[in-house]
Amino acid sequence: MTLLAVNRVCHALMHDKDFRARMQADPRAALQAYPLSDAERAAILAGDVATLYRLGANAFLMGYLARFEVCGLTVPIYGERIRRCAP
Amino acid sequence: MASIVGAYGLPHTPIFPFKVAEEGASSPTGALFARVRAAFDAARPEAIVIFDTDHLNTFFLDNLPVFALGVDESFTGPVDEVRGVPVKTIPSHAGLATHLRRAAVHGGYDVALVQDFAVDHSVYVPLHFMTPELSLPVVPVFINGHVPPLPPARRCFDLGMAVRRAIESYPQPLRVAVIGTGSFSLEIYGPRVSPGRPDGVPDPGWVDEVSDHIANARIDALVAAATEQRMLHAGNVGGELLNWIAMLAFVDGRKPDFIDKQMENGHAYAAWSIPS
Repeated sequence: MTLLAVNRVCHALMHDKDFRARMQADPRAALQAYPLSDAERAAILAGDVATLYRLGANAFLMGYLARFEVCGLTVPIYGERIRRCAP
Repeated sequence: MASIVGAYGLPHTPIFPFKVAEEGASSPTGALFARVRAAFDAARPEAIVIFDTDHLNTFFLDNLPVFALGVDESFTGPVDEVRGVPVKTIPSHAGLATHLRRAAVHGGYDVALVQDFAVDHSVYVPLHFMTPELSLPVVPVFINGHVPPLPPARRCFDLGMAVRRAIESYPQPLRVAVIGTGSFSLEIYGPRVSPGRPDGVPDPGWVDEVSDHIANARIDALVAAATEQRMLHAGNVGGELLNWIAMLAFVDGRKPDFIDKQMENGHAYAAWSIPS
């Protein structure tokens, strides 16, 4: 069920501008409030969207990590990583 | 009695308002919308019912309806930072919406009630091009086309038919246009995006097949082909086709006046005039 927290983090990037700014400045601190597993937290901080996707995170929501360029992601970097999950 | 005066299929690509503002109304995208707008205006609608898939902005995964209907005098949107578009107030029609939802629930469709709500680009972008002054009341009917399990295509067509019958039984005179919005093949931020892009069109063959079914009014064949597996094979938002399928319940098996498919975007523009 903590995967809901990953999706909440992504969703908040769009709808909570203060959280978005904190994620852009200090993501580790910004994520403190979210009940993430260690693996989920590490994957978000590493911008490891392939792992998050395999865990079941919603791709549309994860796109906000790229759109708002948090955790080292840009649209091209995100794309390169997510494309590794292609069947 | 209210009447259905036209049915329209449209995309809702969030960059389109900005793109057409930059490139002009005679640009390719501007011209595609203008063609539908001309048909829309000729039908002289007084209200809009739009079938739409929310992109987890009106709803979220903590409480996700399969079907829902907005019931209020107005709502706001777009709330997902559509480039060049501020958040606006969009007029609605609580009387019509209440009537539609009551009829749908009594007809066996479990349509969630939504009040005091906001919508994202997927409702706003079609309105931006059909009613730029937001001068017509709009009732949104939401179908979950993104987060599996998706409702069956037949169920969505039948929901469309229930909403149609409800409009036709609304006791006030009102000319209603119906819009179905979404892509046929589109991947957003999933593994099948094109290199360097946030999106991709994984299944152009399905765009051809869907467009061909619609162009030739083979609605039963389209509904039969549009399984969850088939739609998701066409992209992680391929279930948006369900909004078109609900809209097709309004056209009585007729061919569209036109359908313009856009292979590079995995979507289409179409219009049906409906004789009174």
